[in-house]
Amino acid sequence: MPDGATSQHERGPVVTPVGARRRFFQRVIAAAAALIGMGLAGPLAGYVISPALKRREAPWVDVGAAADLPVGEPKQLDHVTTVRDGWIESQSHKAVWAVKQADSGRIVVYSPICTHLGCGYRWESSERVFKCPCHGSVFDVAGSVVAGPAPRPLDILPSKVEGGRLFVQYKQFKSGLPRSVEL
Amino acid sequence: MRSRFYQWLDSRLRLAPLERSLLEEPIPGGASWIYVFGSATLFLFVMQAVTGMFLTLYYAPTPDHAYDSLQFIESEIWFGSFIRGLHHWGASGMVVAIGLHMLQVFLYGAYKPPRELLWMVGVVLFIIVLGFAFTGYLLPWDQNAYWATQVGINMVGTVPLIGDWLVPVIRGGEGLGALTLSRFFALHVLFFPAALVTLIMLHLFILRRVGPAGPWREEQGKRQSETFWPRQVYMDAVVMLGIFAGVAALALTVPLPLTDKADPSDTTFVPVPEWYFLFYYQLLKYLHGPLEPLATWILPAIFFIGLLFWPFIDRNPARNPVARPFAITAGGLFLAVVFGLLAISIRDLYAVPRLDPAVARGKALYAQFGCSGCHRIHGEGGAVAPDLSFVGDRRPEREWHIKHFQDPAAVVPGSFMPKFPLNERQLQDLASYMLSLKQNM
Repeated sequence: MPDGATSQHERGPVVTPVGARRRFFQRVIAAAAALIGMGLAGPLAGYVISPALKRREAPWVDVGAAADLPVGEPKQLDHVTTVRDGWIESQSHKAVWAVKQADSGRIVVYSPICTHLGCGYRWESSERVFKCPCHGSVFDVAGSVVAGPAPRPLDILPSKVEGGRLFVQYKQFKSGLPRSVEL
Repeated sequence: MRSRFYQWLDSRLRLAPLERSLLEEPIPGGASWIYVFGSATLFLFVMQAVTGMFLTLYYAPTPDHAYDSLQFIESEIWFGSFIRGLHHWGASGMVVAIGLHMLQVFLYGAYKPPRELLWMVGVVLFIIVLGFAFTGYLLPWDQNAYWATQVGINMVGTVPLIGDWLVPVIRGGEGLGALTLSRFFALHVLFFPAALVTLIMLHLFILRRVGPAGPWREEQGKRQSETFWPRQVYMDAVVMLGIFAGVAALALTVPLPLTDKADPSDTTFVPVPEWYFLFYYQLLKYLHGPLEPLATWILPAIFFIGLLFWPFIDRNPARNPVARPFAITAGGLFLAVVFGLLAISIRDLYAVPRLDPAVARGKALYAQFGCSGCHRIHGEGGAVAPDLSFVGDRRPEREWHIKHFQDPAAVVPGSFMPKFPLNERQLQDLASYMLSLKQNM
């Protein structure tokens, strides 16, 4: 209402606040809108992005007795792990390759997935190498690439021995990269 | 000074006339704090819509995942319980805001000609909001949701002729299950919002055609009016901020625990409705047997039809309450009944009689020994052991309770309730509390 405070209307004059009073009302309206907007926008933003930022630590899974592993001979260990996908929890069968080192007795656990394109590989005990059937990648017992297109050695999973049992944290890694990058 | 961007937009879209008609609507008699309730309701609806949309990001409307997905929101998502709290308390706030809005319109006689249509669309909006409340209540799929909805749908079954046919249509089959949950979800998030938004637009359109009613002394409204912007908007904005702060404070401070996951085989569960349906819940307790249809559909039908056509029932042209003894008495009587029933219901459900301190001590013992780990009272506690909501009716003898506390298995063969180390006075106090848990105190 630029020209004056009142104008004629069929029901008598229509008034509107002017000057400092009008500015006060406008400022309060803007402040209320801003406060409500911020009060909602912040929590809602956190609400939307939180699953993307939250990384759940993979659980330690018991995969068997450490003493059962033959020295220097890789063994495939099947186990059941609980997979959480949002609010859905399911049981999943996973297999990992575990090798007890001949010299130190330390146990190394490999991810069961070939670092080239993600196929499952197997142990050829006669040749003492891991072979991937898909594209012919070959790894030795230490996980190093011996032949084929694999860009990096086998991925090592975190493992520990507690009370004679072997525990593993199952993780997945991006395939095809020269370095090991967790998914 | 207008910004250059505004001038650019205005030169293309000719915003000035639109802005004038939106903001300079004259309010007869001037802006007033009494006119804020319509805007408050609209604000709460927008807040419900926003928080509701965000809740659907992590909600699964199927019986096998609904409950888990809600727990996921509560425990895993940042601000999840806050957003759910805003939605929950916003719903309560909306019922309050609509109640006050209707009360103001009623008191000011603002439904009278030429505003009958404005009132009638408003009544339909109110019914849709109740539909939101009913469908939304089932979605958490916990025991309370399941059994309260079961009761609500069964009431529909008492309607003659169409009741038996309507119940399976609402449930989407014979039983309350996956199809019920998914259609309630669809109604709650798609059908009702579409209907509500359309009718809100119609409500506002009619308002702009007929204009706001203004004070009940018409000459006062004719003497002078005031533009909607900025003073009425300022009042609306202050109230909205107050509502937001209030709802946010409730969401932050009052936890909304889920009861156990819905268990269709557990028929001992006694559901308790939201507070705004408690008066009706209380009415149902009084009207049973042959009188039951009165409460389940006859009175509601009379109420809503009467409400809808109220502008044609009340033909007194006067708007001043002093000149409307019939309408004001009818309205006052209705409010007295509703709030009376609500008060009785709240007293029955939650209050511990102050006369007997033994009951209060017994209640403290109940909490101290963690009885609610297995037993449930009015929806709170585990479902492993019998529901104690009305145990005073079921087991009215004090001696029975004392013996039972001392050796549960001796009184109830096969009971797995442990023997708690209670002294004589504690036994008496706990028994007093049990005896106080009755349908009608």
